[in-house]
Amino acid sequence: MITQQNFWQHNKAVLMFALVALTMPLWFPLIGGYSGLDTKIMIFCIFVVGFDILLGFTGYLSFGHAAFFGISAYTTGIMLKNFSDNIIPAIIVAVAAATLVALIIGLLTLKRTGIYFSILTLAFAEMFDSMAMSMLQKWTGGENGLTGMPTPMLFDLKMQGDTVFYFCALMAILLYYLAKRIERSPVGLMMKAIKCNQTRLEYTGINARKYKLLAFVLSAMYAAVAGSLMVVYEPFVGHEFLGWHQSGEIVIMSVIGGVGTLVGPMLGAGFMLYFENVLSVSLGEQWLLVLGVIFMVVVIFMPGGFMEAVARLKKRFFTTIDGE
Amino acid sequence: MAILDIHQVSLSFGGLKALQNVNLKIEKGSTHALIGPNGAGKSTLLNVLTGMLKPDDGSVMFDGKPLLNVNSFDINQLGIAKVFQTPAIFPEMTVLQNVTIPVFAARDGSFNLNMFEGRSRQRPLIEFAEQQICELGLENHMHSLAGSLSRGDKRRLEMAICLANKPRLLLLDEPTAGMARHETEKTIELLKNMNDGITKVIVEHDMNVVFSLAEKISVLAQGQIIAEGSPDEIKGHPKVIEAYLGEAQV
Repeated sequence: MITQQNFWQHNKAVLMFALVALTMPLWFPLIGGYSGLDTKIMIFCIFVVGFDILLGFTGYLSFGHAAFFGISAYTTGIMLKNFSDNIIPAIIVAVAAATLVALIIGLLTLKRTGIYFSILTLAFAEMFDSMAMSMLQKWTGGENGLTGMPTPMLFDLKMQGDTVFYFCALMAILLYYLAKRIERSPVGLMMKAIKCNQTRLEYTGINARKYKLLAFVLSAMYAAVAGSLMVVYEPFVGHEFLGWHQSGEIVIMSVIGGVGTLVGPMLGAGFMLYFENVLSVSLGEQWLLVLGVIFMVVVIFMPGGFMEAVARLKKRFFTTIDGE
Repeated sequence: MAILDIHQVSLSFGGLKALQNVNLKIEKGSTHALIGPNGAGKSTLLNVLTGMLKPDDGSVMFDGKPLLNVNSFDINQLGIAKVFQTPAIFPEMTVLQNVTIPVFAARDGSFNLNMFEGRSRQRPLIEFAEQQICELGLENHMHSLAGSLSRGDKRRLEMAICLANKPRLLLLDEPTAGMARHETEKTIELLKNMNDGITKVIVEHDMNVVFSLAEKISVLAQGQIIAEGSPDEIKGHPKVIEAYLGEAQV
């Protein structure tokens, strides 16, 4: 039975995100954000929401998701340059390529847990990074990066300025909605159970390994969509797309926002990018130091990230009994 | 008819022979207790049955199907559930979510790609889970976090998890360990009243529990079965008294 109230309750978060995202070009300049940064924020929202399916649900911390982001970005660039300037086939091929790689890496790395899993994913990502810089230089452009793409087209529509922003925002809303659907499904329940007690889950008749692999591949697909959109947003791919710095940034965004809440990491992504690109100017050279202090304060006093702060405030001001 | 047939199972850890040519038949629908001094191999035998340990030798048949070299989750899907010595639950989830997991496992098997199906839309399944929780007397904790329950309630929750996917064989590893007297009595009542034809194998140190529940008892000592029979036969068995001497009063 689906009632209107049910629909509202289930999709409240998605509708609110849609409202904030779609009105961003109106309010973002008021707080000093420039055009283009809003697009980048939407793209990273996609990346971190997907990452939360792996880290937030199953508890597996990957330090190598930049690999899928980067592989997809390079594939998109090569597709746009050599095949067609239409972004649809480019995105599809890029996501498919990254998914295939994720399937293989997932099968190999998920044999281990904890720190060993993290190190393995990091090693694989670094391997792709060095491959892009050496044997694949002809395709990736090596140190100079991949350039010379034509203006990306969505069929007859030039992907420039606000068009790119709305395309990315709609993708982010859709993918956030799908992530919420996964969270409410039996699959989401099994993934979260992996984080709680994997042994009990296996003894309850569930093949935990397959669910872990599914979470890994899904999160890689989100990373791949984000990587592909990065090239649509700015027709350039550098090898730093694949680097450990990129992977680490996603982890920091997730932790600062609130792991496992889906919306939290998106807040974290918005905050980090805003801080790096806008506040850093007014803070001057010391901005990284300030960011470090903020990160430490959040981790020490609010391990649940921004979402824990939100929950605490909610508890203080509204004492309603909420189902979810 | 025997639902479980353990035939000549041997297992050693390095030089230690944990199980030596164990033969055991468990009758369908019966309650069978496994007793013995510490280190006799009782828990090891249960771990062989759940697929956690692979024996060096021998065979285990469950309802005519071999159990060796089968994954733990497949063994559970065949109908064998295990209650652990320390309650194994999903502490960061609510009681209802805990029991929803086996309900979906029973419907979907060990893996299913139904990523976009709303769980709350499956009213009959959720209601079944709620009913299981009520049957075990946890109705007041439906939406509490499982980790916040008392030890006795955690044990009951674990039983609800195990029973929710309708097992045919329930393995219990010291279900009353660390429980207060009245909690133990409650657990005995619970197991006694659970008469849906579920076969039960209980590993237990508390003789009060063993003698009030078991129809048949097997005694393990140093990895071997040294005696087997009804509670009355076991009570006076000279080998059993010898094995337990200095351990506990039988």
